[in-house]
Amino acid sequence: MSRVLGIPPKRALPLKEASLFKEVLTMYEARQLKKGLKTADQILKKFPEHGETMCMKGLILTHMGRREEGIDLVKKGVRLDLTSHICWHVFGLIQKGEKNYEEALKSYIQALRFDKENLNILRDAAHLQTQLRLYDGLVETRHILLRLRPTVRQNWVSLAVAYHLSGNLLEAKKVLEQYERTLKNVPDYDTEHSETTMYHVRLLEELGEFTEALSLLDVSSKSRVIVDKTAIMEARARLLSKLKSDESEHAWRVLIDHNPDCTSYYHGYLASQGIDSDEASLAILRDISSQIPRANAPRRLALSFASGDRFKELAKPYLLSGFTKGIPSLFADIKLLYKDQAKLSQIQALLEEIRAENAPDSAAPSSSTFTSQPTTYLWILYFQAQHFSYLSQFRRALEILDEALKHTPTLPELYTCRARVLKRAGDLFGAARSVEEARLLDGQDRFLNTKSAKYRLRAGLVDEASALLGLFTKKDATSPGADLEDMQSLLYLIEEADAQNRSGKINLALKKYIAIQKVFDEVEDDQYDFHGYSMRKFTINIYLNLLAWEDRLRSHLAYVKAAISASRIFVAVHDDPSIAASLASSGQLTDAEKKAKKKAKKAAQKVQDDSKKGNSQQSSNEDKGLEPTAPKDDDVDGIKLLGCSDPLERAAKFLHPLTTLAPQNIEVWIAVYDVAIRRKKLLQAAKALKHACSIDVENPELHIRLVHVRRTASALPQEPPVPIGPLFKESLLELLPEEVSLETFNSQYLQRHPSSQQAILAAAKVSQMLQAPLQEVENTLFAALGPDAKLDLESSQAILSYLKSLGSQRAEEFRLTCDGKFDLSTVFKSPEEQALLVKQALSVVIGYPDEVEAEA
Amino acid sequence: MNIRLARIDDCNGMQACNLQNLPENYTMKYYLYHILTWPSLSYVAEDSEGRVVGYILAKMEEELGEEDDPHGHVTSISVLRTYRRLGLAKKLMVQSQEAMAAVYHASYVSLHVRKSNRAALGLYRDTLGFTVKSVEHKYYADGEDAYAMQLSLK
Repeated sequence: MSRVLGIPPKRALPLKEASLFKEVLTMYEARQLKKGLKTADQILKKFPEHGETMCMKGLILTHMGRREEGIDLVKKGVRLDLTSHICWHVFGLIQKGEKNYEEALKSYIQALRFDKENLNILRDAAHLQTQLRLYDGLVETRHILLRLRPTVRQNWVSLAVAYHLSGNLLEAKKVLEQYERTLKNVPDYDTEHSETTMYHVRLLEELGEFTEALSLLDVSSKSRVIVDKTAIMEARARLLSKLKSDESEHAWRVLIDHNPDCTSYYHGYLASQGIDSDEASLAILRDISSQIPRANAPRRLALSFASGDRFKELAKPYLLSGFTKGIPSLFADIKLLYKDQAKLSQIQALLEEIRAENAPDSAAPSSSTFTSQPTTYLWILYFQAQHFSYLSQFRRALEILDEALKHTPTLPELYTCRARVLKRAGDLFGAARSVEEARLLDGQDRFLNTKSAKYRLRAGLVDEASALLGLFTKKDATSPGADLEDMQSLLYLIEEADAQNRSGKINLALKKYIAIQKVFDEVEDDQYDFHGYSMRKFTINIYLNLLAWEDRLRSHLAYVKAAISASRIFVAVHDDPSIAASLASSGQLTDAEKKAKKKAKKAAQKVQDDSKKGNSQQSSNEDKGLEPTAPKDDDVDGIKLLGCSDPLERAAKFLHPLTTLAPQNIEVWIAVYDVAIRRKKLLQAAKALKHACSIDVENPELHIRLVHVRRTASALPQEPPVPIGPLFKESLLELLPEEVSLETFNSQYLQRHPSSQQAILAAAKVSQMLQAPLQEVENTLFAALGPDAKLDLESSQAILSYLKSLGSQRAEEFRLTCDGKFDLSTVFKSPEEQALLVKQALSVVIGYPDEVEAEA
Repeated sequence: MNIRLARIDDCNGMQACNLQNLPENYTMKYYLYHILTWPSLSYVAEDSEGRVVGYILAKMEEELGEEDDPHGHVTSISVLRTYRRLGLAKKLMVQSQEAMAAVYHASYVSLHVRKSNRAALGLYRDTLGFTVKSVEHKYYADGEDAYAMQLSLK
């Protein structure tokens, strides 16, 4: 941190203290915190109002872990000297540490007002501008940096990247070309220059200058400027294809030889030859296959192109080779072909044929000259079971698996397959039991462990799942879940959250959904360090991809699910705050949860004690950084979270990114509506419904909202002000014509969807909203079990719980009917029956290690 | 299965795959660090629906001893149990090794494996041709020893 001339009197220090202050700066840079603190105190003793020293002391204290005290001093210091770049810089550093990027940037910009050419501050400001996607400001900052230090290579590249990000590719190209002209004596095989040149090629490609891109690529690869051969080959094939050059065919063929398992190379190769018939594609694939026999891709691709007898001809050896090798993923590989009904039937027939030929007691002559291995037969059965499960013929699938298990009772895959069939059939407890049997056959395998835990969560056995997960998580973690959360396991978080949600523990569910939100916040923060790092490394292409990926991060399915589920919970507690209160008082924690809570509390206490120790031991020179340590979690069970004062605002914030990242998801718009209408954001609510209508106007949940919005509008105490009122009214009319009564609207909807259980449920909910008598609502709901209704497990379950929520006397009748109709399913069993099934599901725990029992 | 260079947007899939398979796990930043520093070394295997079913997360060794040649290091490699027996691990390893040699002139590649992990040891030694160079005492957080293994790329 350099000093500037023209020092105001209150900042000026006598010679001795001025040199002490310089020492403080040097000691801080070297992280000699203890010495720095002592020296700062020496100055402050004589000049207690010296803002810059106070800020430096505050900064040093923060690094030493005395955060609160430190930040207070920094704030005080800034106030004492508002025109010091040092004070603002220090304040900016603190804010950046708190990940408050917007405020940090403001402080940096203040600092730059008083020290326009400070390189450190400029660089940090550039990183903040990138993080905040303020690309015009970034271009400006990068310009200044380049002007100040034109000999630093990364300053050129950084300016080009800034232009690129701001959308000005032409200017980016110009800067890069200028930069390249300044380069002298670049050694061969310089990876940094290689990366920069690859970026130049990309820039030209994005500008549509394919010929120029290709010639730069070719020249640079011949002169060994670009060293990444794979990248050269891929870019070459892509550019030649875009140029429709005859050479592209060869370029793709070279790639296939380089990596014959990359499917996109085959697509490029076929496209480059202008193939228009499946026959021609098959011929080409056959050629490649004979040239590269070890490659699987051409044989598999051929199955997509072939049809009729030709398909059968190719499919049989493909399947047989999979069975002989015992490839567990064969069905997952093949099932994509099932979109074609003809291929599905052909495979089914082939399976019968192959099974007969390979059966151990088969009288049929085997088509192969080799005697079939017994394991081959096993893998045939394994495949066949998955085939029938796919067709929802669960009994048949189970019979086949029973035969396979009789044949070989020690193959975990047979049990996991069985579990999958049972799960799909609705027997969640049987599924959990079966996959646990698989796990016990190979306790060292984390994959089976994860699967077993997941199935337990699906069956609502949360504590039992946790006990399993703990076999592979860190032993010093407060709980298995805490470790998985630290490790950002979205799979675990979403499964546990959903399990808690299903069992009505919405506080614990919400806690986990919020944990998912936090993971995405962390990953968004992760990019910060790369704004500087990647420029130093010159890995520009991948860095640009990082920024694009970060911008779309929250389109991840786990985030979408978490946002929607969390917003539903927030809406529910907004509508009925007593839910939160009753969950708080019910003391619903199970023993395991209580133990986990106690352990967490103990750990939190320890953290606190440790930091206190840090306080008293002033001798510690350890740098604790500027990021605050995670505060102690005083709301382990999420009760406070559930009872928060701003549930709708939190829901809106959670959902917000999805309006641009998942605009085709109708559930997103319905959730947005539910939140907006309650926040009295009428136009936002109407817009959300309009989006939903454009996706699927007949969606059952949307139907409910269309009625809800009309009723909400007519219940408004007064007309909303201009222009909102008229605009809202207008959009309502677009959604639902005024002349139609809501009752008619509802009955027409039901008539259009007489067989859909979901539509029936929606119509019943609307009737109830319109104050129809309970009996009428019940009658509507029971039509869901009528002869015309298409039964599905989830909807039937939803109807049952809705009946229960209405306090209907006929809920039990509905349950029993469903129990009869859903063969194999345990979902509709009575609580007593389910308790027994749980016991059975858990009774396979023969190999349970003692320590886990003790821990749990 | 499709074997290709890992992209930034594979990091979620690689992390998920690692968490399902192995006891050594990393936060996202560690994956990003690998891919942003050595963008040509990590590969994935994906199924026909684009799900990552196997990966190799690789780097160049940054702290070289005085006598040491530049060499690659496999931070993590694994394949989902349901996608084994396809030779995916070998295919992933081969692609990564070729890139280490071509881009960074690596003369060998190293990795660590838990002493108790017999399946992985078998894969590295018998299928991929690695040899045990030394035992690193208490290499893992839980106190287990690691075999340090190497394979020459020359």
